[in-house]
Amino acid sequence: MNGDFELFYAVFFPFAAAFLCYLSGRVHKMLRDRLLQLFVILEMALMAFAAFSCFQKGMLEFAWNGFCMQGLYLKMDGFRLLYGCIAAFMWMMTGIFSREYFAHYRNRNRYYFFYLLTLGATVGVFLSGDFYTTFIFFEIMSLTSYVWVVHDEKPAAMKAGEIYLAIAIVGGLVMLMGLFLLQDAAGTLRMSELHDAVLSVPADRQWQIYAAGGCMLFGFGAKAGMFPLHVWLPKAHPVAPAPASALLSGILTKTGVFGVLVVSAEMFRYDPQWGKVVLYLGVITMFGGALLAVFSIDLKRTLACSSMSQIGFILVGAGMMELLGQENALAVRGTILHMVNHSMIKLILFMAAGVIYMNLHKLNLNDIRGFGKNKPLLKGMFLMGALSIGGIPGWSGYVSKTLLHESIVEYAAELVAHGEPALRIHIIEWIFLITGGMTIAYMIKLFIAVFIEEHPDRQKEFDGKKGYMNPESIFAILVPTVILVCMGFFPYLTMNRAADLAQGFLHGEAPAHAVHYFSLGNLKGALISLAIGALVYFGFIRKFLVGKDEKERQVYLDVWPTWLDLEDLLYRPTLHKAAIMSAACICRDIDQLYLTRKVLRALLETAAFLGRICDHLMDGILLFFRSTTHKSRTEKHVYLIGTRASRTLGRILDNFTALLNRTVCRKKPIEHSFVLMFAEWEDVMHKTNRLISVSLSFGLMLAAVGLAMTLVYLLWW
Amino acid sequence: MSSIYLVLPVLLPIVGGALMPLMHLPDKRRNLFLEILVIVTSVLALLSVYRRPEEGFILFHLTGNLDFALRLDGLGCVFTCLIAILWPLATLYAFEYMRHEERTTSFFAFYTMTYGVTLGIAMAENLVTMYLFYELLTLVSVYLVMHPMTKKAIRASRIYLYYSIGGAAFAFISLVFIIIYGNTTDFILGGVMDAARTGGHTQLMLCVYLMAFWGFGVKAAVFPFQGWLPKASVAPTPVTALLHAVAVVKSGAFAVMRLTYYCFGADFIRGSWAHFAVMTIAMLSIIYGSTMAVKETHFKRRLAFSTISNLSYILLAVSMMSPLGLLAGMSHLVFHAVMKIGSFFSAGAVLHQSGKEYVDELDGLAYRMPFVFTVFTICALSLVGIPGFAGFISKWNIASAAMETGEHFPYAYAAVAVLLYSALMTAVYMLTAAIRAWFPNKGYDVKSNEGITDPNWEMKLPLGLFAAAVLVFGLYSEPLMRLLRAVAAGSL
Repeated sequence: MNGDFELFYAVFFPFAAAFLCYLSGRVHKMLRDRLLQLFVILEMALMAFAAFSCFQKGMLEFAWNGFCMQGLYLKMDGFRLLYGCIAAFMWMMTGIFSREYFAHYRNRNRYYFFYLLTLGATVGVFLSGDFYTTFIFFEIMSLTSYVWVVHDEKPAAMKAGEIYLAIAIVGGLVMLMGLFLLQDAAGTLRMSELHDAVLSVPADRQWQIYAAGGCMLFGFGAKAGMFPLHVWLPKAHPVAPAPASALLSGILTKTGVFGVLVVSAEMFRYDPQWGKVVLYLGVITMFGGALLAVFSIDLKRTLACSSMSQIGFILVGAGMMELLGQENALAVRGTILHMVNHSMIKLILFMAAGVIYMNLHKLNLNDIRGFGKNKPLLKGMFLMGALSIGGIPGWSGYVSKTLLHESIVEYAAELVAHGEPALRIHIIEWIFLITGGMTIAYMIKLFIAVFIEEHPDRQKEFDGKKGYMNPESIFAILVPTVILVCMGFFPYLTMNRAADLAQGFLHGEAPAHAVHYFSLGNLKGALISLAIGALVYFGFIRKFLVGKDEKERQVYLDVWPTWLDLEDLLYRPTLHKAAIMSAACICRDIDQLYLTRKVLRALLETAAFLGRICDHLMDGILLFFRSTTHKSRTEKHVYLIGTRASRTLGRILDNFTALLNRTVCRKKPIEHSFVLMFAEWEDVMHKTNRLISVSLSFGLMLAAVGLAMTLVYLLWW
Repeated sequence: MSSIYLVLPVLLPIVGGALMPLMHLPDKRRNLFLEILVIVTSVLALLSVYRRPEEGFILFHLTGNLDFALRLDGLGCVFTCLIAILWPLATLYAFEYMRHEERTTSFFAFYTMTYGVTLGIAMAENLVTMYLFYELLTLVSVYLVMHPMTKKAIRASRIYLYYSIGGAAFAFISLVFIIIYGNTTDFILGGVMDAARTGGHTQLMLCVYLMAFWGFGVKAAVFPFQGWLPKASVAPTPVTALLHAVAVVKSGAFAVMRLTYYCFGADFIRGSWAHFAVMTIAMLSIIYGSTMAVKETHFKRRLAFSTISNLSYILLAVSMMSPLGLLAGMSHLVFHAVMKIGSFFSAGAVLHQSGKEYVDELDGLAYRMPFVFTVFTICALSLVGIPGFAGFISKWNIASAAMETGEHFPYAYAAVAVLLYSALMTAVYMLTAAIRAWFPNKGYDVKSNEGITDPNWEMKLPLGLFAAAVLVFGLYSEPLMRLLRAVAAGSL
């Protein structure tokens, strides 16, 4: 850990604060709410402190080797300072606003916990000095902000959360692939070294750099809401709580833009091919977002689509920055300023929408119509935001859009000067102006619906609402409004300085001659857009998107075809059906008749077959022996009677008679068995002996024999 | 420290476990005895790692130059430490989990014996010793799968037995060939192949390597021999977690590491068709495991499929055939053990506390069991590979190794794509479970969750420690990486 610890504190303080806030929430709710406000203000102070020392030292750096293995590298220069401060500022304002907005919400502890975690991660992204650090914080940010999206836990929120998470994770993974490719080819991920490293990559591995760039554009673009990965944006922003939508829209998308800008400025500096890709994607995003916004009849959805469109403007700037090469000052400044503007504007507009939502719990234009009719403060603040985003001269959006427009014009002039066809660039210029017009049109639509028209039934109730927002909330919306207005009215004092500060990051230089924002030539573009805007609003929106309901009341119609949704049309089917299902089916098949089972069965069957053969072989041998040497005798002699003597003798004689039978007495064989005969004799003898031995006469006879023997002994010896 | 002490940590649990059923202790005292036994063993094992004897210890001579010998080298130390640290915690968890089960004494007897046998694998000095312990591991752990004694469990244990014994047979073939064609059967980083003897038989030896890779890989559930693992998840959770996420399957992966880097030698295989083949096998397993996990709705089986894919991460890293690959393999060996055991234990805690087995029953459960699901979510994020968690470090290592190998073996680039695909699938199958628990759709069945609470400290302590380890390693793993780098370079 070494370097300037201001950065460390600025990034890691919110992480610590998140836990503190969570624990305090377990104790007391009021305490937690106040602590949260304190923490976001403290974070702003820390950031201001870091900015202050950055001004003194010129640049801040902080490295923590070994953090998450590859090490953490934070850096603060002009642009990072600007965006770090904007992030802290936005969190501060929404934090202050949150207390009233969330007064009746459940699970606030969870929300605040992730709210602060995301703050740390977002600041981390903006202060990152190498892509590894960017990636770490980027992923953390993606996941923690998921909790915001699904905070309501309603089906719509869950569905939006699903696609948000899916795109965040897929984007993260693709980006990771890009980082691998980049590190492999260039050998470094540090942003300041990338340009030289990329130039030194041999030509045969240039493809790897482009592949890496493509992957990273995918990852960062997904977060920025770039076409065709914008699908999550119009869904996730409206369902999140308003302070969260303000942040999602105003600053989280900017982390994606930040990445795209770094990739463009460092890896592909002045690379026209890359510039074209970014430019075209930007143009589609810009126009598509505005188109969706024109059709939308939901306040927050319109704002979300508008965000997408504004990101498109910024990407156009990024593309022009590449195409213009060395002379890209206008594009660089326009890009940066439009980012800043858009952050501030969306902060105001979403919080204003939040005020409406927390009073009515509705967002459909037909329901909230007339809510702001007699609320001058809210009306004024919303109007400032609307004018600014519409690019009306005198407001800040005008300045940045003018710069972007001028950069397109300049490139067209350059092409013409080189004698190359400039038709495409002219078409882009016109799309740019038309989109500007559409921006004005949908903002008019919102403004008229909410602040001019009257609600058919509930207007009295709306007007009667006193104290529809508390002083804290007023403060939270008013401060950015004032800043925005100052930026618009004094562009030379404020915006030019911000651009001077930040342009070094994108390797832009101050333009050769100062831009006169209010010159006639520059005003022309804005006036064209204004005219187109009026035309679209009165000629299209009032005619086709406003109709009558069954009670003959005027209503805003939702005519956007529901099937025309990239998510349902393309992504879900591809991901679910094509990818997961088919893979799973194949795998299941493998599982069910997998190789091993087949092989095993084959093996077993062969073994059984061989075994049977061996078995039969053995049987055959046995049979052979039994029929030859070990032939069993046909007759069986079972001698149950007789003693051993009679059996042995009898068997000898039997064998002898058998021999005789086979040889001599073949004609008249001796049939009887000697064993039996002897046994019978024995039996008879045995019985007779017993009879004799127990009889009296036998005893007398023995006595007589004894007497006789005694007599003989006496006579002769 | 004299090398004779190496025998103690191996023998102590085997003998202690075997004696336990004879002692007829009441449950409480038995548990105390067991925990002390396991902790003493762990302390001895860690002590022998800390004061590592340079020499090996020859228990007895089998025949000729084949010895039954124990020795600790770098890789062995890593695996020994991993087991020694996880086992006491898992035992603690098992006490609570098994409280209401029958036949616990015989269960714990085998459970403890498995500990000794696994340490034996980690400490084996040569292939013969490892092979013997490897076979022994099958035999002692088969009872653990069978323990519920249901028809399903018996069937699963039979399948487990078939696969393992079959695999070991292949491993035996390689053992014979290494005796013939190698200088020695001892483990030496860089391989023991005798160039003079293998001269004309390179192709044959590559075949043998592939066979052995599959043979030892059976325990690591490598495709297509992965079938036993999901089936074995019928076993009690401590078993599925410890054995089928750490001990048994990691022994398989460990054995493959030994085989690849310490017997055949990475140089011998690098660039050959066998290299191509093993890399393909690992990739297929990863794709298979992670895709099947998405389809699976049974919580523990889903984790089992996840194990299949994660083990093959290790094998994929091993198949890079470079020191960086070995490093990556070891780091995933360690980190996956911690995070998978954490997620298995969470699933087990859910099963134990609520009886819920399927992912779609988890709705809103996190509010009832906040501790368990916090741990589970941390482990899930880590498995996905979100930066800041341990899993990211090892996956980054694997991918870096793949990129490095890719420079002269372009097929390795595909490995990175496979890793990313698998990470996506992991996100789907792990996060859906976590999301269901934390963010139930409005109107879920609240009633079914009534009365469910977090488990007691015996279960919570291991869980908490695992989650902490995942976070700490995720944020700062430099010391560990330095160690593993030294092991991979052979300087430890």
